Amino acid sequence: MDIFIALAIGTFFGIGVFQLLRRNVIRSALGLVIISYAINLILLTAGAYIGEVPPYFGLVGQSSDALPQALILTAIVISIGGFAMVLEMLYILSMRYKSSDLDDIDKLKH
Amino acid sequence: MQITGNYLAILPIVILLTGAIIGLLIRQHRRLQEGWSFAVIVMAFISSLILLSQVWRGGQPFVYHIGGWSAPFGISIVADLLSTTMVMMSLLVISAGILYALGCKDIVTEYPTFYPLFLLLALGLTGGLLTGDLFNLFVFAELMVISATILTAISDDKKGVEAAYKYFYISLIAGVFLLLSVGALYASYGSLNIADLANRIQINPDLPLLPMAIVFLLAFFMVKSAVVPFHFWQPDFHTAAPTPVHAVLSSVVVKLGIYGFLRMSTLLFIDQMDVAKIVLIFLGIVGIFFGGLGATATYDAKRMLAYSTLGQLGFILVGIGWGSSLALVAVIVYSFNHSLLKASMLMLAGTVSSRSPAKTAAFSEITGLGKVVPISGILFLLGGMGLAGIPPMNGFISKFFLVKSGVEAGEYLPLALLLLGSIITLVYVIRAYQKIWWIPLPKSVKPKPYGDMFLAPAILIGLSIVLGIWCEPLLQLAEATVSSMSIPTEYILAVLGD
Repeated sequence: MDIFIALAIGTFFGIGVFQLLRRNVIRSALGLVIISYAINLILLTAGAYIGEVPPYFGLVGQSSDALPQALILTAIVISIGGFAMVLEMLYILSMRYKSSDLDDIDKLKH
Repeated sequence: MQITGNYLAILPIVILLTGAIIGLLIRQHRRLQEGWSFAVIVMAFISSLILLSQVWRGGQPFVYHIGGWSAPFGISIVADLLSTTMVMMSLLVISAGILYALGCKDIVTEYPTFYPLFLLLALGLTGGLLTGDLFNLFVFAELMVISATILTAISDDKKGVEAAYKYFYISLIAGVFLLLSVGALYASYGSLNIADLANRIQINPDLPLLPMAIVFLLAFFMVKSAVVPFHFWQPDFHTAAPTPVHAVLSSVVVKLGIYGFLRMSTLLFIDQMDVAKIVLIFLGIVGIFFGGLGATATYDAKRMLAYSTLGQLGFILVGIGWGSSLALVAVIVYSFNHSLLKASMLMLAGTVSSRSPAKTAAFSEITGLGKVVPISGILFLLGGMGLAGIPPMNGFISKFFLVKSGVEAGEYLPLALLLLGSIITLVYVIRAYQKIWWIPLPKSVKPKPYGDMFLAPAILIGLSIVLGIWCEPLLQLAEATVSSMSIPTEYILAVLGD
């Protein structure tokens, strides 16, 4: 199980970083989304994540750590809000600059 | 007494949150909303002053456990002297920022959510400084980033969206860094409470994931305060922001990173920061020259001051890198004085650019415009003297203590570079003053008959002069802060309770 999770995190990170470095703004934004999912998996594996019973007092058996899952929920909510804003700003940017190439969106540099 | 004190710790956060929500509800009535927002930020500032005086007099941090969950399990709000001083400083400058926005002629201040967003920016900063939990720091930092992004994206400047996108994108990556650090620390130590973590790291400092956590946390704070390899967003973002927002961003919001470095080197990773401190000194000196030369060469008054922030933060980083108690006193005094001076100078540049027909602060557009607003010229020159460290101003006090601590530490090479950097400061300030206030106004330019009010920068500059002549209270506060920072067990015991 661990090896699969590790492979999944590695793959997500690889794809994410590759997309992040592209010149197209939309692709680079999607790269950020993919990386944030890799981070969520990392947070999940930070605690004990293979549980058989719910983490209630008095139950016998291995239970998983609830805190990382709460952290992931918070991180997902925040990143959803963040990506909504990223997409919104990308929409305005591509309308204003008539391009989605990062090299064209540089009016601030003189 | 103790109970009221502990409730006091969360009071600034509660006031700002309630104020922002009610501010959203009354968005139909613009005058009411403006008055309400200013009242809220002043109330928050007063509550932080009360908190500071109580913490200072009691000599003991105030801790509020949210929801009554005791320390390592719940989220604690910890108001020790360092965080309270930073909160007081931030709310003081943000109050001035909102006061400036009240007299500002930008269209953006008429936007119904402008003031609530401003309050949320203050809330994110205050919460990030007061929180005692790493994940909670992430939440507050994201709140701060999102409100700052929107405030810039709706700016009068058409390029605001581009700047906001750059900032937001890089800040999201900074959030990724923080989460990586959180994951590494939780996997190693099973806790995210800063006090608990400090305790556990001291007991067991050899876990393999610890260096990674330190590096990612450093990277997060470096992005937050635009330290040199992570600074590329800063001049762009700050230039495009509306003047009141720019004044706040460039002076106090960047101080979150400084607070983080102080926390890391005096509480969390006391024994592991040796290499990081050398890196901070190096990056600080690079920042002094990069920021100074960038400010000397740039084309826009507001952009010049944004670059100057890079340089001034370099001085503070060098102080953190030296890390002696005198250097830390200098760091706190320097942060405070830089916040006042930079915010006021930005507002003064804003008063000039608001008179220009093109509504920009580019030197080519505002040459000679200063003739219309002579008072802001005097104030700008005073502020510039403060930045460069010339005596009647408070900037002299901070530079003096920084140099003194450098002499004491025997670090002569960084010291010489530091003094050279101060001269660059003088060069770009004089250049801006000369371009705006000395050169006569070209006949073709018709300045606007009215512009932004300069009450807020006048207050800040007045405060800087007072603190330059009578610096005792600030120095005593900084010394008390440093002596409480030098005993990390005090913080840990206050949070965890024996």
